[in-house]
Amino acid sequence: MSAPALTPLPAPPGVYDEMLDAARAPRAHYAAYADWLASMTPEQMAGKRAEADLIFRRIGITFSVYGEEGGTERLIPSDVVPRIIDADEWERLEKGLVQRVTAINRFLADIYHGQEILKAGLIPEDQILANDQFAVAMIGTRVPRDVYAHIVGVDIVRHGDGSYYVLEDNLRVPSGVSYMLSNRKMMMRLFPDLFRRYRVRPVEHYPALLLQTLRASAEIDSPSVVLLTPGRFNSAYFEHAFLAQQMGVELVEGQDLFVKDACVYMRTTEGPKRVDVIYRRLDADFLDPLAFRPDSMLGVPGLLAAYRLGNVVICNAVGTGVADDKSIYPYVPEMVRFYLGEEPILKNVPTWQCRKPDDLAHVAAHLEELVVKEVHGAGGYGMLVGPTSSKAEIEAFRKVLMANPGNYIAQPTLALSSCPTFVEEGVAPRHIDLRPFVLVGREIRIVPGGLTRVALRRGSLVVNSSQGGGTKDTWVVDTGTDADDGPAPSDAPAGA
Amino acid sequence: MLSRVASHLYWLSRYLERAENMARILDVGASLALLSGEGDALAAIEPLVITDTLDAFDATGLPRTPENVARFLAWSPSHASSIVNCLEASRENARAVRGSITSEMWENINDTWLQLVAKRRDGAEPTDAAFFDWVKERSHLFRGITFATIRRDQPYQFIRLGTFLERADNTARILSVKQARRSTAADGDGLTDYYRLSAVLRSVSSLEAYRDTYRDAIDARRVAELLIFDPSLPRSLRFCFDEVVRNLAELPQAPARTARRLAAHMHALLEHGELEDVEGVGLDAFLERFLRNNVRLGEAVHAAYMEMK
Repeated sequence: MSAPALTPLPAPPGVYDEMLDAARAPRAHYAAYADWLASMTPEQMAGKRAEADLIFRRIGITFSVYGEEGGTERLIPSDVVPRIIDADEWERLEKGLVQRVTAINRFLADIYHGQEILKAGLIPEDQILANDQFAVAMIGTRVPRDVYAHIVGVDIVRHGDGSYYVLEDNLRVPSGVSYMLSNRKMMMRLFPDLFRRYRVRPVEHYPALLLQTLRASAEIDSPSVVLLTPGRFNSAYFEHAFLAQQMGVELVEGQDLFVKDACVYMRTTEGPKRVDVIYRRLDADFLDPLAFRPDSMLGVPGLLAAYRLGNVVICNAVGTGVADDKSIYPYVPEMVRFYLGEEPILKNVPTWQCRKPDDLAHVAAHLEELVVKEVHGAGGYGMLVGPTSSKAEIEAFRKVLMANPGNYIAQPTLALSSCPTFVEEGVAPRHIDLRPFVLVGREIRIVPGGLTRVALRRGSLVVNSSQGGGTKDTWVVDTGTDADDGPAPSDAPAGA
Repeated sequence: MLSRVASHLYWLSRYLERAENMARILDVGASLALLSGEGDALAAIEPLVITDTLDAFDATGLPRTPENVARFLAWSPSHASSIVNCLEASRENARAVRGSITSEMWENINDTWLQLVAKRRDGAEPTDAAFFDWVKERSHLFRGITFATIRRDQPYQFIRLGTFLERADNTARILSVKQARRSTAADGDGLTDYYRLSAVLRSVSSLEAYRDTYRDAIDARRVAELLIFDPSLPRSLRFCFDEVVRNLAELPQAPARTARRLAAHMHALLEHGELEDVEGVGLDAFLERFLRNNVRLGEAVHAAYMEMK
């Protein structure tokens, strides 16, 4: 062999290696990939990565980063090594996700109507009623089929013990699905031979499922669906445009819509056209300057009134944020037991609620071991990762925490599992998480896999794209299958 | 179709056409300046006169050299219609509606912008023939991709409307300035005339068309006739208005009564008129009225389809 073959480096002790087992041998579902990798040179892989970068930039799959100069467009790095999940394992995850999201929707319907869970004393009343995310306007407002969270992006990590934990249920405007789709397209283009070795379950039909879900959210026949974006300066604008195009629905901004006689219309070249379903990619606070933030230029005056009368459906519903608030997160396993009478399939990360004096005392004494997060925070901002922070950073954070303990929760630092990733030093372990996208329509549908985010810096646990994270194509594969005897799974099912 | 989307599509193509026209004017201007030598101060500022930007240029305080003029019109960040600003505006409009155009169209215009950014790297601001050729070629490429990939539906029609309203404006301006210059030139000998007129024709890709049509020496009256009335020449006023009227007819009729009436009136003059009619009022006056009406038509199209009240 002329060039050194690519051998994946193992994960450090205590970290679950997605590819290699304790004896440093590839796990069954990675065996074919390891064989293939051994036939590649670093130069060949680098060439593939350069090809991918070029295509991503040309297609304009870019992401604006907060805090950088306006107009800055960066690529989210897409790694060329896939994250592979065994089909049996995926099916367990899938069951757990369906259970969890079902319970959360039951919870949302409950707290905006009968509030049985509060009466049962399972969650302290003030935790809900005094929560910023609790939408008073939704009390007594019926939404079709009692579905509040139609599109959910659940963040899941695998700990050193090998089991999965739910980190966050993103119930407001979860994003990232366009990267899942682009990564798959790119990988099929770059590595067709790999797709012949594996039977990878397809994800390309996601936009079709999303459209079905949105249509099913209204109680009328063939509703008119639009995607509401804050506009092209939003960091996720590419995804908004991409999904609207894939679904064949109008991509609208607030200024394109207006409310007349409590119905919503869009301005078109042929005059006003009625809108029945709004897939909003806009925080609820910005939806209607009359009801929420009067300074918002992004929303539609009068929208909430039309919504409360049932003249338009908003997906996700207004008020879902109360269920993915980090102060409510610890109660999700209780919700599963209370509403479904089942034991939760997916584990929650143990969480200390700093509003409780005992919990706060524990957190304050163990800051250097814990991850501390703002209750309402998102995107990896305003958090402390104890083990990777300096003494000075920890002390500075302690002051902020003690000044307003109710604003924080703390969790043990999970040793996120690692997946081989093509970086400077070769194919080396990097920490990853997983965001499957759960669609709640007439039934719950999840495309196999989801978005794998990867922390590209060695040792880093922060996978957010705004903080230097990248993404990976995520494969759910039937192990033991040698797909050489069948067609490559590149043909998405009809209707995709 | 959303009114906002219609507006973005219309301006995406107007700005791209404007960038192309600017490149054409500068390209021909540069070769003409070489020909006329150092002393021709009028030749240096001609691109500014055509685009009505003489005052804006003088406000920069730079000497009126062909190099400064070219850099101003091609690269100035402060001049709204400079080539860089037009290409960027075109790409931004495309980005706002990337779901309404084909991915090939978007990728092409995005790629143009990326190449432009690369060209400017390290402070380089090329104003040579290669750069102008590149601008023209990117514009041609986008038009070709549009033609080959997009459905013949409202997005296409708004794109075409933008292209031809902008192009008509440009052809009329070039003709107006070049002809006026010719009539006032003190040294109007035959040879200089020949070069000036052939420059007019080259700037609108019509030199070959002239030769094929007239098979005779280049003559000012025939140049005007060709660029105003020829129905087969893609940059003539008549051709532009054939397209404007055709595309307006494909769009929803009810909101556009004013726009269609004005377009039909302008089209009729081009379809049934003759050079003698133009000479009756004077070429200058004719072109000036045409340009005024063209602006009014643009406003009427805007009011009909794109206003966001």
